[in-house]
Amino acid sequence: MKKVFLILLMSILAFVILTPFLWMFSTSLKPLPEVNKYPPEWTTPNMSLKPYTEMFDFLPFGQYTINSLIVAISATLLTLFFGSLAGFAFSRFQFKGKDIFLLILLLSQMLPGASVIIPLFQLIRKAGLYDTYIGLILTHTAVLLPFVIWLLYGFFKTIPKEVEDAALIDGCSQLEAMRKVLLPLALPGLGATALFAFLGSWNEFFFALILTTSDTVRTIPVGIGLFVGEYCDLWNQMSAAAIFFSIPPLLLFLFMQKTFVKGLSAGALK
Amino acid sequence: MKRLLLICSILLLLVALIFSCGGDSNIAKVQFWSFGGMPTMMKWAKERVETFNQQHDSIKVIQGQKSWNMIRELLYTNFSAGTGPNVMRVHANYAAEFGEAGYFYPINRFPDFDSVKAWYQPNLLESCRYKDNYYGLPGTAIAFILACNKEMFDKEGLKPPKTWSEFRAAAKQLTKDIDGDGSIDQWGLVLLGGDRGGFSYRLAPFIYKAGGTFLSDDLNNVTFNNPTSIKALQLFVDMFQKDKSITPGFLAYTMSEINDLFCSNKVAMRIEGPWINCVVQDRSPGKEFYTVPIPVPDDRINQYDTAPTLQDMIMISISAHSKYLNEAWEFAKYLRNNEADMEWIRQDMGGFPTTLNAINSTEEKPFPDFDVFAHELQYAKPWPAHPKMISIVRNVIAPYCQKAIIGELSAEQAWEKAAKEAQDIIED
Amino acid sequence: MKKSLPYILLAPALIFTIFVLVYPLLQNLINSFRDVSLIESSDGWVGLKNYLKVLQDDVFWLSFKNTALYSVLGTVLSLSFGLGIALLLNMKIGKINNVYKFLFTIPWVVSPVVAGFAWKWILNDNFGLINYWLISLGIINEGITWLGSAGTALICVIVARVWQFFPFAMVMFFAGLQTIPREQYEAAEVDGASTLSKFLHITLPNLSSVTSVLLLLGMIWSFNDFNMVFVMTRGGPINASMVLPVLVREYSFVHFDLGKGSALSILTFAILISLSFVYLKILHKKEQI
Repeated sequence: MKKVFLILLMSILAFVILTPFLWMFSTSLKPLPEVNKYPPEWTTPNMSLKPYTEMFDFLPFGQYTINSLIVAISATLLTLFFGSLAGFAFSRFQFKGKDIFLLILLLSQMLPGASVIIPLFQLIRKAGLYDTYIGLILTHTAVLLPFVIWLLYGFFKTIPKEVEDAALIDGCSQLEAMRKVLLPLALPGLGATALFAFLGSWNEFFFALILTTSDTVRTIPVGIGLFVGEYCDLWNQMSAAAIFFSIPPLLLFLFMQKTFVKGLSAGALK
Repeated sequence: MKRLLLICSILLLLVALIFSCGGDSNIAKVQFWSFGGMPTMMKWAKERVETFNQQHDSIKVIQGQKSWNMIRELLYTNFSAGTGPNVMRVHANYAAEFGEAGYFYPINRFPDFDSVKAWYQPNLLESCRYKDNYYGLPGTAIAFILACNKEMFDKEGLKPPKTWSEFRAAAKQLTKDIDGDGSIDQWGLVLLGGDRGGFSYRLAPFIYKAGGTFLSDDLNNVTFNNPTSIKALQLFVDMFQKDKSITPGFLAYTMSEINDLFCSNKVAMRIEGPWINCVVQDRSPGKEFYTVPIPVPDDRINQYDTAPTLQDMIMISISAHSKYLNEAWEFAKYLRNNEADMEWIRQDMGGFPTTLNAINSTEEKPFPDFDVFAHELQYAKPWPAHPKMISIVRNVIAPYCQKAIIGELSAEQAWEKAAKEAQDIIED
Repeated sequence: MKKSLPYILLAPALIFTIFVLVYPLLQNLINSFRDVSLIESSDGWVGLKNYLKVLQDDVFWLSFKNTALYSVLGTVLSLSFGLGIALLLNMKIGKINNVYKFLFTIPWVVSPVVAGFAWKWILNDNFGLINYWLISLGIINEGITWLGSAGTALICVIVARVWQFFPFAMVMFFAGLQTIPREQYEAAEVDGASTLSKFLHITLPNLSSVTSVLLLLGMIWSFNDFNMVFVMTRGGPINASMVLPVLVREYSFVHFDLGKGSALSILTFAILISLSFVYLKILHKKEQI
């Protein structure tokens, strides 16, 4: 009985919570004249999958998807790589300035985007990285690193040092020990972190808008922004693009749920 | 793991190299940023770029479609780093701001400017002028008019209003409870409260029609704190607070919400520009409405035909930092010459032509009531060309007027405070 | 070699941080003391003039208040709701649990910009779902102008923020719940503890470190959150929902006054640091007790 009640409760909650998302999905199937009617209708007579194809006519979303994938995957890999090194350093060593560095990492999350963009833009331009994959990837990495380092620091902290000490006794160097022993144990944690990083880069809009200009590098969020026009907004196509755009991270979350939870509970939380 | 990363990094480097490599250095590359516009216009612009590139071997125009809403972030960030597009489609009020800052090139310096100037209806060029220079070629002209929902007006047996009294009365009559549930679900007028610039743009025509001004001729003094402005604002104050004929949620409305309301017959009147037909037909194909000049105060009815409304303009400008100025100019002209301008006549792209050739053409007009716009544009006046004007319009006039309408301030107080702040901004 | 290893390992991360934090922070600091605007920029030093302009702006104080409300309420409510849902999910009713877990993470995964638009649509006073439901259920007679009235606009953006952020808290709390040793609960049950007592004396204390971290991160992120408010209200109606990040954008890109924008950025940064400092101090004291 308790089970039935819980299922009922969670179903109602799920429906209520997902309403904005469901409404978006409904909008993505409507022709423009049928979007926003009174009374609101979940289904209208002329619903179809047309907006999903129309959006590819309006803008080169195929190219945008490739760009988003390249940027997000690369940023995730880079962030994990540098983040692991830093997390390892924080968790296994005592050194002067450790607290200050941790503080600086925390502080770097405290600047609003609008104040970072102009100096950052000038830097990226000077480095010749404007309108390139690398420029955006490096920017995303820099923005994601602080949180990722904090997460990985937490994971590594919970894995007892003795495990690596055993490897050191066997003749490995410290870095080898990290690679062969620590990382495999921290895999769930790495998985969870990778998901966060991927999501952060995938959805990022503002830097992607300013730091790229051509279709060959433009990412999906920027493309979606173009649906909101000067006079008219193509809500149906924009919703279709948004739904389409949510699928990769949703799939990732769906299939990596176990790893995700295992990773987080392994101990960043203690 | 490390090997995988190494491979990835190399791949990325290669990809990046491919994109950062320049091409043939004998070709003049012209970056064209097209901000906003209707989808039909964007399509036409793309084709225009293609034909231009085909006709010119030594020039390559690269077009980028950009979000209208992020235009300021994009332009300012780029200009402050010394980069940005060479040719761009922007709001004409940027002439003062960007002209003053030296970011736009004064096109009157090109040797053939005088002959190019002659293409356009003279008063329409004024929007693109700041002090003694012109900072862009007129792209599409805008005049603000009043659109009246035909179905709703006909049902009440009303004619579109000409005077402020008629306007107020019509709005009141059209505000009613349709389904008899005790609450009003149809209103006479809707205002664009969610877009501060847009809000002021729809208030200004009433002040202009009443003979009011905003800045002195020498642009040094604020003149909008006067009985004319107070009377205009008071009209809306009374309509909102006493008649309740303005939609209560107007402070959150953007173009999208207004269009939904108008097309579902929940609102009878809206203040718009030449985009209205395109925008309405997209949402409700076949919907009809009356397009009439903005009403005049009762005591100015004899000047109904010549009283000015607000003129606005989208223009094509050239960046002052362009490496290939002459090529940019060639392209700008190609984008705005008589042949190009005829496209505003041939299809409804939500705009209005600016060349004499097109305006006086006898070809079939792209949307009904085209002539109303043509007439209004003969007398329309733009905002005063002060670099800080847009800032004042958005950040001073809009909030204070909105506060007055909802009753936080009286109309007199609103204009008084606004005038003081605006004067401070000008003198800063 | 061994002594410098940690520094070498940290170096790349620090280099990134320098580019994304230190350099922009310094630039902003310098610009805040200069007259840097698009128009008539003299680039000269004007001392504290920009700061004074910001502090004398009523909109700044309103934004500060709104941002504080947005952060505090937004985070606290997200955490509460997230914890609630995590507890529900923890009741382990079988495989179907995973389905719900997945569904509840959707608000966080969807792009914030689009989520903002979706909220805007359902909050529309004439066509939106929420008013339609409320009127159909007879709770209200006329549509409420959610985003058009000063009183409700801020509440709406806070609700949208909670909707967006709670899955993050939920996931963290859920993972945290898995780490609580069963023995603690079993021992309590032997002692005859009630459900509420178990919750207050076992669950909550075990989750305290997660909570404190979530609170801090949540508040920092909400403080700087631009997307939700910008898309839903742009800070309106008439600044009723203006928050500091949106105001920074107003100063920098609408007024084109980079000096003022930089001054506000530095002020925002300083406010955040102070609040975090106070928070961490309180946390430290608590841990020592």
